[in-house]
This record gives sequence, C-alpha cells and structure tokens, in this order.
Amino acid sequence: MTPSPTSSLSKPPRLSKFSKIGFALGVIASLGALGWNYFSVPTSAQWSDEERRLIASLSLDQLPPLRADPSNAKADDPSAVALGHALYFDKRLSANGAVACATCHKPELMFTDGLKLAVGTSVGDRHTPSLVGLSYSPWFYWDGRKDSQWSQALAPLEAKHEHATTRSDLALLIKSNANYAALYEAAFGSLPKFEIPANSSPLGDDSERAAWQSLSDEEQQSISIIFANIGKALAAYQRKLVPGRARFDDYAERMLRDDSAKVSQGDLLSPAELQGLRLFIGKAMCVTCHNGPLFTNHEFHNTGVLANPGELPSMARYDGIRTARLDPFNCLGEFSDADNSECIELRFARDTNDLVGAHKTPTLRNVDLTAPYMHGGQIADLAAVMRHYNEAPTSMLSHNEAKPLGLRPPELRALEAFMHTLTAPLATDSRWLKAP
Amino acid sequence: MKSPSLLSSKIYAICTLFVAALLSLFAGISAAKEADLSGATGSISLEVFSRLSPIEINTIHSWEIVLSDGNGPMSGATLEIVGGMPEHNHGMPTQPQITEELAPGRYLLEGVRFHMPGLWRMTASISTAETQGRPPSVVVIDFTL
Repeated sequence: MTPSPTSSLSKPPRLSKFSKIGFALGVIASLGALGWNYFSVPTSAQWSDEERRLIASLSLDQLPPLRADPSNAKADDPSAVALGHALYFDKRLSANGAVACATCHKPELMFTDGLKLAVGTSVGDRHTPSLVGLSYSPWFYWDGRKDSQWSQALAPLEAKHEHATTRSDLALLIKSNANYAALYEAAFGSLPKFEIPANSSPLGDDSERAAWQSLSDEEQQSISIIFANIGKALAAYQRKLVPGRARFDDYAERMLRDDSAKVSQGDLLSPAELQGLRLFIGKAMCVTCHNGPLFTNHEFHNTGVLANPGELPSMARYDGIRTARLDPFNCLGEFSDADNSECIELRFARDTNDLVGAHKTPTLRNVDLTAPYMHGGQIADLAAVMRHYNEAPTSMLSHNEAKPLGLRPPELRALEAFMHTLTAPLATDSRWLKAP
Repeated sequence: MKSPSLLSSKIYAICTLFVAALLSLFAGISAAKEADLSGATGSISLEVFSRLSPIEINTIHSWEIVLSDGNGPMSGATLEIVGGMPEHNHGMPTQPQITEELAPGRYLLEGVRFHMPGLWRMTASISTAETQGRPPSVVVIDFTL
C-alpha cells in the first residue's frame, strides 16, 4: 500500500535544530543590520559646557569685523571697490573676451561654478573655491601659494587656462576706458603718460615675453604697478562678500541667550540636525579643522583625497609656501603697501615635510550649494564627503591626518543634515552680486 | 549768592573725586597684569604675556615672554619655542621665533598662531652663556584652547 500524497503534504517538514538556530541568527543579523543602518541612538538632552563653548565659537556672531590688509592700502577705498566691482564682471579681462572673474566665481552659486574643474579659456586642474568670507584668510589657493587676496587675483589673469591675458593689455584697458581711468586715478593716483604696448608680459609666451623685454625698466615697473593695483581693486570688491546668518547661528544665539543647556529648543534645528551638530563638534572631529565662525581654520591638511585620474598627487602646501616666498607680489615685495614687520604670516609660516599633500580647509558655510568638493572636485556630493572622512583612506603622498571614525550610516546622514543648517543668503548688498 | 559753606563742600567733593581718580590710576598701573601662561623648571620661571589676550585660535599674534631665575631677570638667554598638540601628534601652523629682547629678561615671540581647539603644549628650550655645552633647560606649558 502506498501512502497518500495528501497526508505527506499536510505534515510540514521538520526543521532540524541547526536550521532553527540558523534562522534565528539570520533574523537577529537582519535586525542588527537594519538598526545599524537606520536607527539612531538617542543622545543626551543636554549640551555639556565644552559643547556650548564650541557651538558659541562657531556662531557668526563671533565673526570679528574684517581687519585692514596692511599690504593693500586701498582695501576699503570706495573708488577701489567700485573699480574692482566693474572689473570682476568684465569679460574684456581675457584673451578671448569670454572670461571674467564671475565666469568661474558665479554670485548665484556662492561664487563657485558647480563644475568639477574650473573652465576658463580651457579646463584647469583645480576646483573653483568659494570667495565668500575669503577675505578673512591669510592664505589663498588650495595650496596657499599666495599670501594676499590682491596678489591672488593677479595670477588667473595671466594664467593660460584662465583669462590668458597680459598685464600690459590690462593696463591698456584701464587707461583707455574713461570710467576705469577715473576710478583708478581716484584710488591709486595718476596713470603713466607713456604709450602702453599690447601683448606684453614677463609670464607670457615667446612673443609676449619678447615684447616685455623690449620695454624699459621704468615702463615695465609702471605696467606692473597698474597690474598690482587691479589686484588690489578686485580684492577691495571681494571684501564685500561675507556670509549671512544661517539657521545654525539663530540656534546658537538662542541657546546662549537663554543660557539653557537643553538640546532641543523649538523648531530651529531638527533632531537629525542637532545630532549632526553634536557629532560635528564631538566624535566626528570635524571642528578640529572646520572651526571658528567661518568653519575653517584657513590652514592646510592632508586628508587622503586622491588626485584625479591621470594626475600626479600634488605637493600642495609644501610647494605653496615656497612659491609664496618667491612671489614678487607677496607681502614683502615692492608692490606691497606693508612694512616688512607687518608680513607676519609670510615671515613665520611653517614649511615642514608634514605639509606635503596638505590642501586648504574650505569654509562650510553654504556648503550644500557648492558641490562638487575637494581641491580637484573629486567628491561629487556631501554624502560621499561624509563617507570619505568616515573611512579616512591612506594618502597617496605623505600621511592622512584624519583617522577612520567608525560612524554608522544614520550618523553620517545626521552630519550631512547639519551641513544644510549653514546655508543662508549673503550679508552683502545685492548690488554687489551683479555687474554694475 | 551761594553760601560759602556750600561752595567749600563742592570744592571738597571735587578734590576728593580728583584724589580718588588719581589713586585708581596708580592702582591700575601698579597692579601687574597677570601672565596668560606660566611654567617653571628648577629655579627658572617663564611667564607668557600674550598681546592677544585671551589667547584664541586662528589669529596670528605675539607673546612677550619673561624669564627669570633666582638672581632676577635672565638677560641674553637663547630661547626656542616649539608648539604642538600632543593628542593629534602635530605642530603649530606657524614657526614662531624670538625676534627681540624688549627689556632685560623680556623677549618678543612673533608668529604665534593656533589653528585648532583642544590641548596645546608649548615647549621652551632655554640656554644661556653660562650653560653652553650643557643641555638646555626645558619648560613645558600645557593649556587648552
């Protein structure tokens, strides 16, 4: 007699003891994975005194008035500001008539361009940094090879992949344009009388250098002075570009004013943003470098960001400080308005081996509007930036100063959420945000 | 016409205020400013009077460093200052240097800048003509920014 098929089906197969244990372990592992990825651990409802001190130090209320730049006597001169404003948006400051400062540093993108690498007359090799609040920095460029904002403004004008113009063409433009000449002379004094030649620069191609060499020392000097003053006018304009109060600043102000250590206060910041703030000033150690009211220490750090494919890793600040010391337009140079004793940053800058591969800490104010990120635009979005710092990969050159953080996905998302609390319209009169 | 007694009481009040103002001025001058930082090794003591007080991050500034030993101010000493963060194993963003002896035993340290909040350690190596050929005296000062 054969057994009925229905009777054998009605009896469920018996799971072995091992299968049951395996099933249970699977459920536990799945719950664990879910928890690891999606559930936040409730954090303390109070800020410690140290946390309160750090939050206060990041508030925009702590930003001091912009100090004078001793190397630029006209940094706050209204005529210099007006000249710099007009020049900033003028595409005639380029060999092809298509590139202005505003081409890469766009006002509507917090003075960045949204591109991986800057595109002037051709594609460059660095990502365009924001100019907002940059006047507070003692160093410029990702590698710090310039020690003033006016000196920085000069380099792109003559760089072949950026504006690709020459200092003599720029001097000629100032002299031949009645508006520019009037503003220039109001700020910097008389323009020279001699006929300025076109296409001459000590940094140009063969013909431009030959033309430069045919000028007398006095003529070269006069043109370079106009060139330096163009930089000083552009810097005077850029000093107007300062960040505005963001939600984080309102939160910090209220917390400090109420003298309350409670974490949650009203609806200024969401629970995730508050958790992100706690991580930012604590376990994630972001505040180590992104400190002060501009969320930058204006310094140089190797954080293991790989060079773009096909590019050698950069020596960065190690070379940058050496270039700055040799720059004829530095604080100690003949075009600077500073006494040597005032060039403290340049005279006492560190140049040690640990600066190999160290790039400048950028501001985090308005960071969610300035993607992509890093000196070569290597990282596309904020989530990927958080993953990068969580992993702290080995550096191609020298060593990564950051250490792996061991943060869980919800913590990384909280940090990213906090970044969005730093966004606000600039505290800059809207007339400076467009061409005059 | 004002009564003489009222006039004299006014003069008295003004004189009292004037003397009080003078006294408070002298008190202000004589009360020595407290050192921002200090440390010692053996008989040597080192005091830091920062020209940026309180000391804060991200602002370059100078320190006046006062050195003294059992015999008074230490003039003509060679002083090397190195700073760093022991918990992060890195140094300062600048290389501060002594550029001048402002007064006997009072030295100017230029180029001081700190770029991170946290524990900082400044190490001062001090040598004098008398101690040449011997290891310098070392004063270590820890402080938190």
